[in-house]
Amino acid sequence: MTVTLVKTPAETAYTDAFDPQGALADVRKSAFAQFAATGLPHRRMEDWKWTDLRQLMSSPLPPVSGTTASADTIDALISASPFGDVARARMVFVDGVYDADRSSLPATGDMEFASLGSDDLPDWVSDKLVAGSTDPIAALNLAYMSDGAGLRVKAGSGMDAPIELLFVTTAEQAATYTTRNVIVLEEGSSATLIETHIGGTGEYVHNAVTQLHIADNARLDRVKVQEEGLEAIHLSNTDVHLAESAHLKDFTLTIGGRATRQQGFINFAGEHAEGHVSGAFLLTGKQHNDTRLVIDHAVPNCLSRELFKCVMDEAARGVFQGKAIVRRDAQKTDGNQSSHALLLSDEAEFDAKPELEIYADDVVCGHGATSGDLDENQMFYLRARGITETEAKSMLIGAFAAEAFDDVESDAIREVLGGLAEGWLARRKAG
Amino acid sequence: MLEIKNLHVSLEEEDKQIIKGLDLTINAGEVNAIMGPNGSGKSTLSYVLAGRPGYEVTEGSITYKGQDLLEMEIDERAAAGVFLAFQYPIEIPGVATMQFLKVALNAQRKARGEGEMTTPDFMRLVRGKAEQLNVTTDMLKRPVNVGFSGGEKKRAEILQMAVLEPGLCVLDETDSGLDIDALRVVAEGVNALRSPDRGMLVITHYQRLLDYIVPDRVHVMSDGKIVKSGGKELALELEKDGYAAFAA
Ligand SMILES: Nc1ncnc2c1ncn2[C@@H]1O[C@H](COP(=O)(O)OP(=O)(O)OP(=O)(O)O)[C@@H](O)[C@H]1O
Ligand SMILES: [Mg+2]
Repeated sequence: MTVTLVKTPAETAYTDAFDPQGALADVRKSAFAQFAATGLPHRRMEDWKWTDLRQLMSSPLPPVSGTTASADTIDALISASPFGDVARARMVFVDGVYDADRSSLPATGDMEFASLGSDDLPDWVSDKLVAGSTDPIAALNLAYMSDGAGLRVKAGSGMDAPIELLFVTTAEQAATYTTRNVIVLEEGSSATLIETHIGGTGEYVHNAVTQLHIADNARLDRVKVQEEGLEAIHLSNTDVHLAESAHLKDFTLTIGGRATRQQGFINFAGEHAEGHVSGAFLLTGKQHNDTRLVIDHAVPNCLSRELFKCVMDEAARGVFQGKAIVRRDAQKTDGNQSSHALLLSDEAEFDAKPELEIYADDVVCGHGATSGDLDENQMFYLRARGITETEAKSMLIGAFAAEAFDDVESDAIREVLGGLAEGWLARRKAG
Repeated sequence: MLEIKNLHVSLEEEDKQIIKGLDLTINAGEVNAIMGPNGSGKSTLSYVLAGRPGYEVTEGSITYKGQDLLEMEIDERAAAGVFLAFQYPIEIPGVATMQFLKVALNAQRKARGEGEMTTPDFMRLVRGKAEQLNVTTDMLKRPVNVGFSGGEKKRAEILQMAVLEPGLCVLDETDSGLDIDALRVVAEGVNALRSPDRGMLVITHYQRLLDYIVPDRVHVMSDGKIVKSGGKELALELEKDGYAAFAA
């Protein structure tokens, strides 16, 4: 029996609005065709069985760019970024459009910045905008992407002062905002990149893609903080290409969003590269977070590590899908993934789905998943020293989550992350 | 200071009685030692004093400084001055020892209506005591008990005790796992805390510890009861003759 799915109002809104213009029109057309072939992902698709977008997006959320919000609203959201004192450069995007006045870019010859909304994109950006992603949401992103950051760190340059890409969504319109970043680290360069997502109260979708192209011997430390509004749907794709001896450390903290689907595709294209991908979710209410990683070891001698710590309170729902492919030539691959869930309520739920596809014989690959509540012995020990039950819980939850960002390189960023976790715990305590 | 009367304790999970009518009084300024065969209920007694979940007191009472201890929460007991040095200290990954000590001390001070101790004062306090107990700065930075050797864990327990200055110190086999030098250091740390307004309950299997921490009273526990009490010479007798005479 063939099931023909009737287009949902949300899908119809995406189709009706499609009218590509400008230099990228052809790329957008083929990307949209890819999206249209499947439509919004739904639970009968294996990878999406926990996150049915056809159901989650029950009303039309047409693609929009540009803000209708007041300057005060925008400034309040911008000042909510916890990285104000840490970032040395900042590109700000408001409701899917670059805001040059609210951004501050350093005058340096070591880096080049671009706004992807510009009509005249440099080659190092447009070369990277190619249709062909197998993921419908990433394809939809390319079809509708309104703006985003282009960043090129030139060969041999070290930019270790953090650069922040701040995405602010005012939520004044029930709409879909679509952004895409193209980050290029040339040979032997290094950078620290922060990606912050902050949103107001109200229903919206943010479809965010980040492409990371890390050349030979280059090194990127990336930290993403997702504090979208609590009625928002955050759909994100991070696409990583690691060349020879390239090095990535990537950490994501998810606190916001009604529903989050974040995907990471890590492609090892050169030998001796390393990819460390970690994350922590702090979820409460009916928040939903589905994280899916696909680690593709196509070449020998690379190392991948994934560590996710998921804290779920009330009726929150967490999913971790970690897939590792080790291709036939990828001998001496060293891969390991683990996910750990802390369930603070009987209603909270967590699912882990590890998938290993190993075609090489000389590899070390492992995975582990745990799920449980707070350790009674640890609780007793803390309380036996005079620490109250509430405080002891907070300490243990904080320590549990912090393990995922222990090896974020920058002390200042790690402190901010610790502060965000503490803030979440304090709100939890306040009930 | 501590009065235990006709204490009966069972496990909550299964129908098993562990303490079966125990009486014990500890006066301020005294060191009381409890010896007794494995499984006689010594650790259980120490846990019931600290308020560990999982045990049910079916009969009897425990009064500490005139308060009904059994009515108090775990952390209230600690703030009131009850301290248990664990037989098996618990590891807490992700919580630095120094941070843990500071939170604990300030929580107790707050519960007693005292002001918080400032960070510099606290650092000075801990550094001084840590030095006396051979607890390195590195250990203080590490997560609570994580990667500590058996002996290091025991020294860390005594450091916590020295910093928190409890009214009643319950030491459960603090000597096990200690080498001879560490035993002396720990015993000196404990002796330094002896004072006319502090009571101590020292659980041990070995007379050797009692050479260093000389007890005022020694009790023999067997099958959930105190079966004999005496002066420090009782420990010497036990060392010689074993527990055969007290077999349940
Ligand atoms: N949570 C528990 N579940 C099952 N049995 C228990 C539990 N706690 C204590 N027991 C049992 O109660 C008895 C007393 O145990 P306890 O640890 O108090 O003995 P102890 O005198 O401290 O022994 P040791 O000298 O070996 O430390 C033992 O038989 C033990 O197995
Ligand atoms: Mg014991």
